[in-house]
Amino acid sequence: MTETPPNIPIRPARRSLIERLSIVWLIPLLALLIALGVAWQSYAERGPLIKITFENASGVVAGQTELRFRDVSVGLVEKIGFTEKLDHVVVSVRLDKSVSPFVDDGAEFYVVRPEITSRGVSGLETVLSGVYIQGVWDDQAGGLSNEHEGRSDAPLMDSQDGGLRLFLKAAPDAGLTENAPIVYQGIEVGRIGRAKITEDGQTVEAEAIIYASHTQLVTTATRFWDASGFSFSLGSGGARIDFSSVASLVSGGVTFRTVVSGGRPAQNDDEFLVYADEGSARSSVFSEEEGASLDLTAIFDDNVSGLAVDAPIDLGGVRVGRVTALNGMVDPDQFGDNRVRLAATLSINPARLGLEGEAGPDQALDFLARRVREGLRARLVSASLLSGGLKVELIVEDVPQSPDASLDLEGQPNPRFPTTDSDIADVSATAEGVFERINNLPIEELLQSAIGLMDNVSRVAGSPDLRALPTDLRAAVGDVRDVIGAPEVQALPARISAVADQIETLVKTLNDQDISGRILSVVDAAQTAVDGVNESVAGIPDLVDRLNAVAAKAETVPLDQLSTDLSDLMQSANRVLDTPGARALPEDLGQALTELTAVLGEMREGGVVGNVNATFSSARQAADTLRDVAQQLPALLDRARAMIGQANTTLQGYDAERGLGRDVSTALREVERAAAAVNSLARALERNPNSLLFGR
Amino acid sequence: MGLVACRRCTHLWPLGTQVCDRCGHRLQSRDKMALQKVWAWLIVGLICYIPANLYPMLATRTLISKQESTIIGGAIDLAHHGSFGIAAIIILASVFIPIGKFMAVAALAIGVKHGSRMTQLRRQQLYEVVEYIGRWSMIDVFVVAILSSLVQLGALASISPGRASLFFALSVIFTMLSAQSFDSRMIWDQEGPSPHPESLQPKSTKASA
Repeated sequence: MTETPPNIPIRPARRSLIERLSIVWLIPLLALLIALGVAWQSYAERGPLIKITFENASGVVAGQTELRFRDVSVGLVEKIGFTEKLDHVVVSVRLDKSVSPFVDDGAEFYVVRPEITSRGVSGLETVLSGVYIQGVWDDQAGGLSNEHEGRSDAPLMDSQDGGLRLFLKAAPDAGLTENAPIVYQGIEVGRIGRAKITEDGQTVEAEAIIYASHTQLVTTATRFWDASGFSFSLGSGGARIDFSSVASLVSGGVTFRTVVSGGRPAQNDDEFLVYADEGSARSSVFSEEEGASLDLTAIFDDNVSGLAVDAPIDLGGVRVGRVTALNGMVDPDQFGDNRVRLAATLSINPARLGLEGEAGPDQALDFLARRVREGLRARLVSASLLSGGLKVELIVEDVPQSPDASLDLEGQPNPRFPTTDSDIADVSATAEGVFERINNLPIEELLQSAIGLMDNVSRVAGSPDLRALPTDLRAAVGDVRDVIGAPEVQALPARISAVADQIETLVKTLNDQDISGRILSVVDAAQTAVDGVNESVAGIPDLVDRLNAVAAKAETVPLDQLSTDLSDLMQSANRVLDTPGARALPEDLGQALTELTAVLGEMREGGVVGNVNATFSSARQAADTLRDVAQQLPALLDRARAMIGQANTTLQGYDAERGLGRDVSTALREVERAAAAVNSLARALERNPNSLLFGR
Repeated sequence: MGLVACRRCTHLWPLGTQVCDRCGHRLQSRDKMALQKVWAWLIVGLICYIPANLYPMLATRTLISKQESTIIGGAIDLAHHGSFGIAAIIILASVFIPIGKFMAVAALAIGVKHGSRMTQLRRQQLYEVVEYIGRWSMIDVFVVAILSSLVQLGALASISPGRASLFFALSVIFTMLSAQSFDSRMIWDQEGPSPHPESLQPKSTKASA
């Protein structure tokens, strides 16, 4: 064996650090690297923290409640706190980095909770799993926004779906129901959001959404109407009940139809009116303007009732717009007085003016300004006779009141349209005028005149003078005839010689009996009668004048009735004159003469003839007396002739064409004939006075 | 006279023999890198132990709720529900034992290098305890694995291992490797009148060779 070498200190060779290190150190190094990598990665992947403010955070649990987008978790609630004033809950959500750029100012958040509505149950899963926060944002990355305000209810639209957002405004007589469906052909194609009262408090408006797959159904020509509730009608076809769906029966709903073609597709934020029913919705298509309208102001001097908002504006009979607002207006500076004027805002629809090409408000304004220079004016006219409503009419006056008026483009708030006098009274005033003119007709006076005329006529006709005249005349004529026709008178000449010697006594007797005086009295009576006729006939021209006046008045009144009445009147006058009395005029004359006959009869019966022979001695005396009598006859005849002449003049006094005159002239002609007979009798007596005595 | 045993075929050779004639394994009385390995594995184990406690160990999802709990959080939950025993076991098996192991191995390694107040026998016993307990450290992972495979009731309830279970298993594995890398003979190498020549001899031989 070898010897053990001396125990000397040995210094080992210094080895490099690499050699001294174990390979195992790589593993912790690796682990460290991995750990650091993981830590860095998780830090780098950690999304931003956003704060969402809610009214309350019921059900939200820190570290557990998720933020979901399209039902996928994109964040987690880390902390729940309060705002400074404790009036809201601030939920801090750790967001996934991948979505954070999209959570911009437009993002909306709401807490999904189980909800039972008339449409069904939603958010049922949250009953078991707890609520979650739903985030809604669009596909435009607008940069992260850290502070958000949470909604208390679900927004209408998940922006990603690209539905059509509309504003629905209820017509004054319709209503809107929140969260009601929009139904088309029985299918829900959209929803109405939260409804609110409009600023003017008149109606309700609500945001609404049409789901993306149905947006092409809505155009600007689409009309919405309220389909809620049900309608019940009872008609010839039986009872009928209508409702769109049970859901809309309960919750209300809106439906729509594109009534006419030609509308452009609706855009986001378009506004639509919701009508009360389908009928008014459909009819609105023809009354509502399309496109931008031109607003004008027209100030009417007469502040009259009857013009209402929505009243039509007519141009040449075509409706070109409507009245959108009405205001009273007092402006002493401008008008010089304190009268209230009616300022109407006219909304003109350029498309209705029939302008060529692109018809915008500017073109319409140019057109109207040109027309105004040509004399176009606005005025109020009656729209309906029954309702008394007014409308505005744009017309060209025949005689312009203010030829140099123009469209005041500087007017505020709208260009001012010149106006002219209103034609409100058009119909009603005309009717009133007719009544007034009828009222003004002198009907009462006319009737009074007619009554007076009748009275006068009947007074004339019924006057005893007139009546007595024909009777007396006829009686007289009859007597004369009888006398003339009597055989004694015919035989008178033959017997005269035989009784000549007795004439003396006869004449004496005649003298005693005062024959000539009685004859004179008879003739006087006839004279009186003729005077009566004369008198009454004297009234006839007056009557005719009055008739003429009446007729002239009647001519001013174009009423056939009146002339009919007048002819009736004439007929009755005719009838009056046609009375038996009038007809019996000659007979009466005859009677008058009968008295003469009777006188002569008495004369005869008095034994005149019988005593002829005995009294022939006194014939001369008688003949002398008779001559005296005969001498008086010409006077009588003159009087009769004068009377007849008077009657003739009278008869010529009025128009023979007239019926009355004709009748009267007929009557008087008979009188004339009778008088002529008296005349011939008198002549005969003159030629042969004895014939009176001897009947020949 | 020293001998060196072949680590592969356990044949004894006289000290200074470089290569085992029987199996060709390189002969070495002491692994000079042993302590480095111990420390290296220990550090990896520690690194893994951190996420094992931060991440959820179990994800329990029932119809109503979904719950993920870390080791300590789950133990506290159990304690809240009154299961103090189970909570204690979990705390013991998942917290105290691993931490104890880390400390024990670290103490042994330090003791080899710089000496220790503990006697060598105590340290040997400590090492034996660490070795013995090491195999039970996986109990958590087993529980998770068993629960996950058992409780899979579809939508009603399911339990799935959380990320922590992986890290916990890794941590246990690395700790065991660390403990195994420790050569318990190093405890005794410090003893004796001349530990240095004994330990340095192969080096000098090698150097001289």
